[in-house]
Amino acid sequence: MPSRPPVRPPGTRGRGAWRGYVYVLPAFLVYVAFAVLPALHTAYLSLFEWDGVTLGEWVGLGNYQEILQDSVLRRSVFNALVLVVFFSFVPIALGLAMTGLLARYRRPGMGAYRFLFMLPQVIPLVAVGVTWRWLYGDDGLVNQAFRTVGLDGVTRAWLGDFDAALVAVGLVGTWVLSGLCMMLFLSGVQKVDPSLYEAARLDGAGPVREFVSVTLPHLRGELAVAMTVTTVAALASFDIVYVTTNGGPGEQTTVPGLLVYRLAFSEGKVGLAAALAVVLGCLILAIVYLINRLSRTET
Amino acid sequence: MPKSTQRLCRRIARAACALALVLPLAACDALTPGSTAAVPGPRSVPSSTAVPEGDVTLRVQFADAPLMVDALIAAFEKGHPGISVEPQYKTFSDYVQNLKLTMTSDSAPDIAQYAVGMTDLAQDGHILDLAPYREAYGWDESIPPVSLDQLTAGRKSEATGGRALFGVPAGLSMTGIYYNKELAEQAGIKGPPRTLAEFEEQLAAAKDADLTPLGVGALTEGGLHLWAALLNQLMPTDDYWDWVNGTKGATIENQAGITASELVVEWSRKDYYHESANGTGQIDSTAQFAKGDSVFLINGNWAAGQLATTMGDNVGFFPMPGENAGAPTVASGFSVAYAVSSRTEHPGAAGAFLDFLTSPEAGQIISDNGFLPPNPEAVAKPEGVLADIAEGHRRAIADDGITTFPDFAAPAMLDRLRSGVQKLIADRVEPADYLDSLQDEWEEHHAE
Repeated sequence: MPSRPPVRPPGTRGRGAWRGYVYVLPAFLVYVAFAVLPALHTAYLSLFEWDGVTLGEWVGLGNYQEILQDSVLRRSVFNALVLVVFFSFVPIALGLAMTGLLARYRRPGMGAYRFLFMLPQVIPLVAVGVTWRWLYGDDGLVNQAFRTVGLDGVTRAWLGDFDAALVAVGLVGTWVLSGLCMMLFLSGVQKVDPSLYEAARLDGAGPVREFVSVTLPHLRGELAVAMTVTTVAALASFDIVYVTTNGGPGEQTTVPGLLVYRLAFSEGKVGLAAALAVVLGCLILAIVYLINRLSRTET
Repeated sequence: MPKSTQRLCRRIARAACALALVLPLAACDALTPGSTAAVPGPRSVPSSTAVPEGDVTLRVQFADAPLMVDALIAAFEKGHPGISVEPQYKTFSDYVQNLKLTMTSDSAPDIAQYAVGMTDLAQDGHILDLAPYREAYGWDESIPPVSLDQLTAGRKSEATGGRALFGVPAGLSMTGIYYNKELAEQAGIKGPPRTLAEFEEQLAAAKDADLTPLGVGALTEGGLHLWAALLNQLMPTDDYWDWVNGTKGATIENQAGITASELVVEWSRKDYYHESANGTGQIDSTAQFAKGDSVFLINGNWAAGQLATTMGDNVGFFPMPGENAGAPTVASGFSVAYAVSSRTEHPGAAGAFLDFLTSPEAGQIISDNGFLPPNPEAVAKPEGVLADIAEGHRRAIADDGITTFPDFAAPAMLDRLRSGVQKLIADRVEPADYLDSLQDEWEEHHAE
């Protein structure tokens, strides 16, 4: 008697497998209606020259061509990439350093630390922007601090200085995102088996060795998440820039998000804004894909 | 086939499907953005001033001076028992951002405050041309024609053949220079300057007295107000109007533009501005001036109320002086004006409301709320710095010298001006290149 294979080969579908899709359907519909369709609509609009009111004119890829040629738009992409350093690299480095300091032993008051470092993440970014605008002001806390230690020559209106503005805005991002990174890493460290640390210590590892050999490898997943979240925050940044400098002085802090908003809402170039949004979206997707790819191959 | 390649293939197939779904849409006219925004009704008001019988409700959407609007509505309703007016206040940024959507929707308000985007809306017929009312109500008699001429959107009226009219002003603004009387005296400055050269001497005198001569809030609009104030003295007013209105062949790349921009740079090199001008907003620079941080301040009449309250008799105001003593008074300003939607069912009642705005009674309400009434002769004389402003305004009106703000030249001009003047102040751009960037934007917008 020929025996049927007891197990279906992987990849084929049995009857009833469609049931799984039914469970997914509600979420899928919501996703399509509120994420996929608007995205496709944006891509569609990017092929028109449209002021938001009158009949649009089909221009094909003309808007994309304009993006490549416009020096302000190119400058904005460059600025966003600079912001990645301050929104992503620096917070991750700081987060790792703090994790290294805090994770080795249980210390009293951890809850309070976590609360304090998480606080910037909880405050609305607009409020953060307004606060930092005051801090960076002429008589703001930053300048007061410099004057107190006798560095009067350094003081300036940070957000109005052509050389300092982008760094100043970037540091606001660092302030906001460092806490988030640290929280992610601290929670990641808690999964690590304490016996590993013990073993490392018995082998005579110092704090640095311990961090590099035990803590860091276990944080790979968290690192990928932190990198993704912070990079997206940098490239899609809008609120902080809009509130603190509005892209100035000159175009020193102009970012793509700000331009999308300006083009669509105040300059009546909805098609161009949509095209820029599509380019920005693709850039972000590409970078996120790259980050995930890198963190996966190491496993 | 390796798994990852398989996945890639599937992804490409999916993307192709999505594209196939989208492409046919492009061919379909009904999906072309903007195709549903056709204008339903007439494009101009009737030429009679008859107000309809029976109860009518007008909806007014606006973004400036809610207290003033409430008072105006109350006074209007008293005189017109059949008409009730429903105010809908929005913050300025909300208002401007949603203006186009609001005015092209079926639920558009009957009356809406005039703002930058209105020119495009007028072009496409979403705003009623009020030119017939201008004649029927005799608005040229009750308010200075120059303030109506700001609201033509650069168009001819199809109904009358004359200039079109897309709004009626209730209160005008004007920019100029405030000065701190105590500090001015300390620097040996005696009274407002009569010429631009004399003003420069006063700035130098203030610098010599170790004071900050001129407060500029260049992080926001302060810088462009300064540049425009200088340009107003150097460029023939008609040419300036042509440029802002988008008249064919108009240009800002001329000697006046160069000289005005060079002055902004030169004053920066001489440290006439606060070191942090580019990082200071209009509101902050005004607060610093009120504290005594600078001798002069560039700003508009909208700051007068606050400055009068905090500085009392210590503050004065003068419009930017011209090149020689006999030159006309020219200053940028714009009206808080109201336009009528093409979708309104009550153009007659809307006309009655707009006509009320030109009355002496409305003028007094406007003046009491700190704005310059369009008909200044009809109101009680203000005091202190408000009197200085009223006097400057009177001179500018008499000289036909209230020009509009330069950012009205194109929707994107505000950003070009703001960032451009920031570069001038930081000495990072050649005046000619700055003007070139403005003209590029102008040409792009006025290409058709």
